[in-house]
Amino acid sequence: MIDLEPATLIGASAFALGAVFGAISQLTGFCTMGALSDVVFMDDWRRLRAWMLALAVALAGTQGLYGAGWIDLGRSVYLGAPQSWGGAVLGGGMFGLGMTLAGGCGAKTLVRLGGGNLKSLVVVLVMGLFAMMALKGLLAPLRLGLERLTAVAAAGSPGPPALRAVLVALIGGGLAWWSLKDRAFRRSKPDLLSGLVIGALIPAGWAASGILGNDPFDPAPLTSFSFAAPIGGALSYLMTWTGATLSFGVAAVAGTIAGAFAAAALRHELRLEGFTGIPDLLRHLAGAALMGSGGVLALGCTIGQGLTGVSTLSPVSLLALPAIVAGGLLGLKRLEEGSFAAALKALVRSSGPSAAAPDGNHRPHQGNGCSG
Amino acid sequence: MSETKLDVTGLNCPLPILHARKFMQRISAGTVVEIRASDPASVKDFDAFCRKTNSDLLDHREEEGVFTFNIRKGS
Repeated sequence: MIDLEPATLIGASAFALGAVFGAISQLTGFCTMGALSDVVFMDDWRRLRAWMLALAVALAGTQGLYGAGWIDLGRSVYLGAPQSWGGAVLGGGMFGLGMTLAGGCGAKTLVRLGGGNLKSLVVVLVMGLFAMMALKGLLAPLRLGLERLTAVAAAGSPGPPALRAVLVALIGGGLAWWSLKDRAFRRSKPDLLSGLVIGALIPAGWAASGILGNDPFDPAPLTSFSFAAPIGGALSYLMTWTGATLSFGVAAVAGTIAGAFAAAALRHELRLEGFTGIPDLLRHLAGAALMGSGGVLALGCTIGQGLTGVSTLSPVSLLALPAIVAGGLLGLKRLEEGSFAAALKALVRSSGPSAAAPDGNHRPHQGNGCSG
Repeated sequence: MSETKLDVTGLNCPLPILHARKFMQRISAGTVVEIRASDPASVKDFDAFCRKTNSDLLDHREEEGVFTFNIRKGS
């Protein structure tokens, strides 16, 4: 029997899980930015429900693993290290804005790259560059300064069992109920599938790093899916391969691209795409820079904080996700209205008291609707 | 570009739908619009767009990576 090193097992598992992530995302259109834009421009809530279902599954699965003693979430970066609320808010907002400029978050960018989109190749390179600059390079002093000013102590754990159970029931149960109560969502098999599978990949990632990497003498870092810093890590890995160690994050990045490629090839959807001109290039460059630096500042991206971080019940993750969403909404409205000022006015108008319909769906004000 | 044609090739989500929405706001109900897109996600997106805007997706085809949608604007 072949005895594999934990690092090899973790790398292989992360690649396989990443491939599932990439394939499912490609096949179903799972996309955080897409979910927000569907709501803003079409009043279509299915992809957002898929995302929320994924969060519910991620939360329940992760807390289940922790409660059963399989993983110690206190060892994760979300609970085991000091956090920065300023980083979560500013970085989250930057990331959210950036994803609307780049046509998708880090995960979606990898999926698009797997499908042959060369614009996404540029986004990956620039995002990775800015992520590394924020981690260890030119932007690191600014990040460290903000973290010092807005530091909060490490939470250490998700909380006592009773509190965890209440939060999983309220947040997870509430999100699952909200998603599944909608008939259009229940009938949409791709959205249902993506919510369930993407959500399950988060605890699967924790299990891969936490159980397979459970070496009592040299435990592997406990982690799950995240893409901002790992995209930077992937570039670094490619450049320093002869002396580098493959991490969960880097293997997951590679797997995501591979899975998306395989799914696109299966459906004959592979096609090379390039920029339409200078404005398109500039928009993507700006988005990539914001995502790379913002994602590191926020300690994670839509997946890294939004799903993985929140699955640990980290208080700062619960701050980062709304910041990412706020940045995304602002970015989408800016694309529509042409300026940040007009975007803010439109957002304030559309969140007025007459906007919500009895079924919970948000209807735009007259004159600002999505119908033609 | 004519009143009844929109070309969003080269653009990725969310721009095709955003441009389609603005374009459709300028035309009258019953008008048939031809929209060309290259984003593979546009097939699903324009299907949802038509349902949500009470428009009719008359037909769509793909040729060499370009998707063409003929949509009649709803009332």
